Amino acid sequence: MANGETTVAVTDAAARETGDAPALSVRGMSKSFGPTKALQPIDLDIRPGEVHALLGENGSGKSTFIKCLSGYHKPDGGEVHVGGRRLTPGSAASSHALGCRFVHQDLGLIGTETVLDNLNLGGGYRTVLGTIDGRAARRTALADLERAGVDIDPKRVVSTLSPARQTAVAVARALRPDDSGQPRLLVLDEPTARLPQKEVAQLLDIVRSVARAGVAVIYVTHRIEEVFAVAETVTVLRDGRKVATRAVADLDRPALVDLLVGGELDAVDAEHSAQPGAGAPVLLSVENLTSVEVTAIDLEVRQGEVVGIAGITGSGRETLLSTIFGGVPREVGTVRVGGAALRPGRPDLAIGAGVAYLPPDRKVSGAVIDLTARENLMLADLRKHWRWPRLSRKRERTECAGWFSRLAVRPPDAERPLSAFSGGNQQKVLFGKWLRTAPKVLLLDEPSQGVDIATKALLHKEILAAAEAGAGVVVSSSDTEELIAVCHRILVMRHGRIAGTLSGKDKTVLNMSHLSLGARTEEAA
Amino acid sequence: MNRLGFDRFSAFYLGAIFILVFGIWTPDLFLTSSTVHTIASSQAISAIMAIAVIVPLATGVFDLSVGAVVNLSAVIVAVLQVRNGWGVWQSIGVAVGVCAGIGVINGFIVVKLRVGALIATLGTGTIIGAFQTIVSKQTQPLPPDSDLWNNLTQTTILGGFQIVVLYLVVIAVFFWWLLEHTPMGRQLYASGGNPDAARLSGVNVDKWRWLSLVISATLSGVAGVLYCSLSGPSLTFGAALLLPAYAAAFLGSTQIRPGRFNIWGTVIAVYVLATGIQGLQYVTGVQWLGDMFNGVALVLAVAFASLSPVLKARRLRAATVEEKLADFEEDPEEKLIRS
Repeated sequence: MANGETTVAVTDAAARETGDAPALSVRGMSKSFGPTKALQPIDLDIRPGEVHALLGENGSGKSTFIKCLSGYHKPDGGEVHVGGRRLTPGSAASSHALGCRFVHQDLGLIGTETVLDNLNLGGGYRTVLGTIDGRAARRTALADLERAGVDIDPKRVVSTLSPARQTAVAVARALRPDDSGQPRLLVLDEPTARLPQKEVAQLLDIVRSVARAGVAVIYVTHRIEEVFAVAETVTVLRDGRKVATRAVADLDRPALVDLLVGGELDAVDAEHSAQPGAGAPVLLSVENLTSVEVTAIDLEVRQGEVVGIAGITGSGRETLLSTIFGGVPREVGTVRVGGAALRPGRPDLAIGAGVAYLPPDRKVSGAVIDLTARENLMLADLRKHWRWPRLSRKRERTECAGWFSRLAVRPPDAERPLSAFSGGNQQKVLFGKWLRTAPKVLLLDEPSQGVDIATKALLHKEILAAAEAGAGVVVSSSDTEELIAVCHRILVMRHGRIAGTLSGKDKTVLNMSHLSLGARTEEAA
Repeated sequence: MNRLGFDRFSAFYLGAIFILVFGIWTPDLFLTSSTVHTIASSQAISAIMAIAVIVPLATGVFDLSVGAVVNLSAVIVAVLQVRNGWGVWQSIGVAVGVCAGIGVINGFIVVKLRVGALIATLGTGTIIGAFQTIVSKQTQPLPPDSDLWNNLTQTTILGGFQIVVLYLVVIAVFFWWLLEHTPMGRQLYASGGNPDAARLSGVNVDKWRWLSLVISATLSGVAGVLYCSLSGPSLTFGAALLLPAYAAAFLGSTQIRPGRFNIWGTVIAVYVLATGIQGLQYVTGVQWLGDMFNGVALVLAVAFASLSPVLKARRLRAATVEEKLADFEEDPEEKLIRS
């Protein structure tokens, strides 16, 4: 699945209702905000039972398109028909009545309640004499879940389910038949954005079974490999304009990326960048590092080197970098930076010693969302612009402007609170925050979380540039292709230990999966 | 709307309306220099208390013991002078020192024992109340009567204001500088904004929280001394200062720099509320207005402050659309709208 080179278009012609009206037919729909055209007139047709991927960078008009379908935005012009019936523009009620259903990235489930209660919250329970008819509720719940192709006990509490199965519950709830008639179109907005890699396949199965039931699916994603895995057709949006609608079978990965970024993408490859010499000084040396989740880790990073950390969720990959940095307590072991030992659990001292650490979860431990972008960018080194008796705002602004243009942060206004920036741009700001400390050792945890392809390429370039400038870099990522692109050497973790090291031609997705699942030992690789 | 700053400077407009309305209604009472002077000095203590609570609030912790601390300080400084015959400066030193010590204990409980600040300071505040009874022997001390003591706050300075107003200005300028213009201030705000992210950025969150509690207690100690000198000793005034301080702090966080506890917004909030209360009291003569006004202001200000992300998002939408386009994809508010 993770190998984007394989092109598997899953179709299920048998289940498709032929001869029917298209599930969705869009003609000339457009939307402007003030002088800016967020969506140029667009045409689109989707058959019942078709999985149609919708691709576009941040700001390409995807969200506007979806919000016009849901009735949240009123389009400026054009017509939309769902199952042959005309959608009243800007009416959420009409959208629902015609059978449009939406599952957002934030699933909107109540984690502390049962699956049964979550399914029934919207539509209400059937009651007998004011008492909930438990058996009927359970029966309908099971039918709902079956529609999403999953077998879940309705009595389970939602938060105890895996993320993929939680998504299934949200899908089941969305597709539940009600008075307004049958669901015809399901829009999934980046359903895999928060999913661990291993659960993606499970989610794609859910999508397929929904489509088999004759519901048209619009599948919004950033992940190109998923397009090849699940969609029949793909529509690419760029700058508010439809670039193309193609059958997935006619495309390969480079062609799709080309459509997406308009041929501007300049992907990096660590193999083409300067390899560190064997004589380069060791900047980071970790010995016998042990914490709750990792065991006896030995690791050396040389100047100019980019080392990757791979591994499935729960392998220790998620906390290794934080443990090295001091964010997570370490039980035994030593961490040396340029020869000097770091005290455990002291991020401030680690930063002083020249270590930078980009946390994996931006919202929880990366960003101070209510402070301005400038204040976030400056936070790791405030002394630089301190001139008694005050912090020089002028100098800070000048430096910010430099980082904003280098990292192409949009909008270019560092005085806004960080919360006013999109996720990708927040990530760029946090990247800049650490790059500006000119670290000796750069620890990056999921550096391209939630960013689009162009931003990802930009960040990758910065990673390699930092290494070339003399830093030692460690990248921990669940995105195996990212690791292959930027790392000289990849350590694969399993059960809290390093299961093997891959470099040169051995850095393949296959080798990584084998090592991380324990199917092969290092010697064999 | 934006250009006139009705949102960021709404307290100014509210204040202007108060002055206009009460000025027309009861000009010979309200529009007098004595009204201005009375409000200025009587509210100086409230404003210092509000500044005291802002510092821990900026780091994300509440200090509910300030009401008890300010009271204890006033009682100590009076008892030492009147019953023990101590000098003015020694008494002040001991009173403020004891309060600083209370701040250290508060910090210890919050940072080292990991007790939530709300509960911790509620507890220590009650304990301090008990100590106050021990120190005062439950009788209100007589006011100290040395000239030095009275002149400490009541000396008239420029423009006919009492010198206590000048103290407020000095304290406000100092903490404005500290919070807005120093690395320490930036780290205090970061600690309050997201303690985890701050810690991983090298900010010693525990240290700042501890220090902020020491600052709030010490400043309350100073406020207690000033209150005692200005109005005489009292066994009960502290509790009455606690709520207005928080009302002003939260109302202030909707002003000047919305979404952030800030000095000038808070000082302005104190005086605007006081102007409204004073005016209404002149007009109606009833006694319950202060409590009513401050209570309502606190609730409304907090409601307003918690709604402010929404207001922020709306303001942004009104901003140039080109810039806004990039944000469409991840607009949390719009995500709330589900079919």
